[in-house]
Amino acid sequence: MTIHTEPLKSVSDIERTTLMTLILRRIATLFGGRRWRSLAPLAVLIVLCVLIAIANPNFIELRNLVRLANSAAVPLTLAMGLTFIILMGSIDLSVEGTLSVSAMVVVLLAANDANGNDYGWWAVLAAVVAGTAMGFISGLVQTMLRIPSFMATLGMWFIGLGLSVYMLGGSAIRLNDASIRDLALHRFLGLPVAVWVAFAAFLLAAVIQYHTKLGRHILAIGGDEDVAKLSGVNVVRVRITAFALAGFFFGISGVLAAAQLGQSHAVIGDGRLFAAVTAVVVGGTALTGGEGGVVNTLIGVLIVTVLANGMILLGISPYIQQTVQGLMIIAAVALSLDRVRLRIVK
Amino acid sequence: MNEPFPFRQVFEGKWTQGAIPLVLLVALLLIIEIAAPGFLTGETVSLLFANTAVLFILATGVTFAILLGGIDLSIQAVASLASVILAQLLPSLGLAAFPLAILSGLAFGTLSGIVHVKLRVPSFVATLATGGVVTGLALWVSDGRAITIEEAGRENTAWINASVAGLPVVVLISAVIGIAAFLAQRYTRFGRQAIAVGAGEPAAWAAGINVDRTKIIAFAASGMLAAVAGVVLAARLSSGSPVLANQLLLPAIAAVIVGGTAITGGLGGVARTAVGALIISIVRIGMTFVGVNIFLENMVFGAVLIAAVAITIDRSKIAVIK
Repeated sequence: MTIHTEPLKSVSDIERTTLMTLILRRIATLFGGRRWRSLAPLAVLIVLCVLIAIANPNFIELRNLVRLANSAAVPLTLAMGLTFIILMGSIDLSVEGTLSVSAMVVVLLAANDANGNDYGWWAVLAAVVAGTAMGFISGLVQTMLRIPSFMATLGMWFIGLGLSVYMLGGSAIRLNDASIRDLALHRFLGLPVAVWVAFAAFLLAAVIQYHTKLGRHILAIGGDEDVAKLSGVNVVRVRITAFALAGFFFGISGVLAAAQLGQSHAVIGDGRLFAAVTAVVVGGTALTGGEGGVVNTLIGVLIVTVLANGMILLGISPYIQQTVQGLMIIAAVALSLDRVRLRIVK
Repeated sequence: MNEPFPFRQVFEGKWTQGAIPLVLLVALLLIIEIAAPGFLTGETVSLLFANTAVLFILATGVTFAILLGGIDLSIQAVASLASVILAQLLPSLGLAAFPLAILSGLAFGTLSGIVHVKLRVPSFVATLATGGVVTGLALWVSDGRAITIEEAGRENTAWINASVAGLPVVVLISAVIGIAAFLAQRYTRFGRQAIAVGAGEPAAWAAGINVDRTKIIAFAASGMLAAVAGVVLAARLSSGSPVLANQLLLPAIAAVIVGGTAITGGLGGVARTAVGALIISIVRIGMTFVGVNIFLENMVFGAVLIAAVAITIDRSKIAVIK
């Protein structure tokens, strides 16, 4: 939640510069301007890969790379949706709730071990629609009730989680539909189909961001909402559409997650929000909005996945992963925040 | 002007906004009393208080963060870590495990505050990140498992589950914390300055208030109280786990907002949070009573949170709602 106020600008700029921000600014100038900053995530990714490969050559084995791509599939699809929201300067905390609703819908409607349904791919369609609907509601709540998105989506997170746990009856339900399971099990050109789906999601997101009016408007709103409004952008409609679009991507990742696990349960979404936010932020999309994009997020997802994979290869406890991701969020946000625009940070 | 009775003005008045939660609480109590006569006896009421204690302690901490116009999304992680530390250290250290567990909360709360203020990271991201850091540590320390507090350790936690003069000790603990927090917020420099910062940060800053220090203290207090809540929870359940308090983040924030503290800051306080925590507890009991499935609780609280935010928020303070 950031607030722009003008009156105290000059005073706050001079006197509120603490030692910390001074050091950070020095580091930022050291790395040059915007051009260098946008290349930093890619440099981090390359350095990371080289270091891990030196420490453990197994890292660059084909089998490990396939495993890497497979574990990046769900986070990539999730992060595509989240990128649009963060580009607007908002946040969507309902990632885990929406993902679990979509996974619940697909498992309960396709062949499973709890009821007699067997709708095949209609279940997948229904799951994606359910995800889109959750996002649509988030957008409506945020714009119509006029409350900040982190609060609206915090509520939606638990509404989704409650709904899916209730429908699953608090237990794990297996997915028995062979063709949906094939998303994770069947391979095409050496990679699981889920990876290709995630890649298609990335292409779709890239087209939306760079070649459609919606993508342009989302960037404009993130850059400066007032200016966008004055330029004739229908802010409310774009916001609702963006949240629905994010829900669409969360819905797809819910299906992928259910296919990969072969079941759906109460904690299918645990830790996903965190990984997605880390990926978007580490990729270089600014939380203040208007800067970054889906290509940044692709690199961010790869950084997060490579790091997780590398930590396992190096024998570091997987439990410490969230700690590392948390520190990465702090570092990335602290280095990338465009502080000149921020008078008050809340 | 020509309205016979200025409903709108009365409804928007500050005192009515403060009174609505209290009226709601009394109404809920009356409904339950009518539906199940004999509910309002000493025993059930003390049980109600005992079940609210942990929620109230958590919510009291986060009240300070929300009063400033920020938010603390790391409380459930800090509480879980404290429970793990307590369960892990009780056998070897005995009673000394309590201050250590609580200090861990203080440390991570301070860390959140420093990240938020010094690195100028918005509080919801700063606390989301420290929450992840803390969860990772808790998983690592406990090896991803729940740790049962064995017979030997239970000797040292028995006092929390005991009763003094008919009142459970947890209720006394939460009452002491509630009163201390109330006094701190009303009568100390920190408390007054926190409200001033929440009401208008540029003005507070121009008036010479050390905004940064006030914010760090608030987040430190939030972390410490979260750890206290985690310790009490661990003692009550005789177990510590890295996911022990995960289900409490939403009810705790909902308690603060439902009590009438505005998410935009500057309005509200600990007393309102006490009312909010009781409302949440009673709604929870009421749902079980009416026969609402326990798994649907989260849905209800999510919807309640959204509604309460929409009612209490001060939109004039936010230029652009993001």
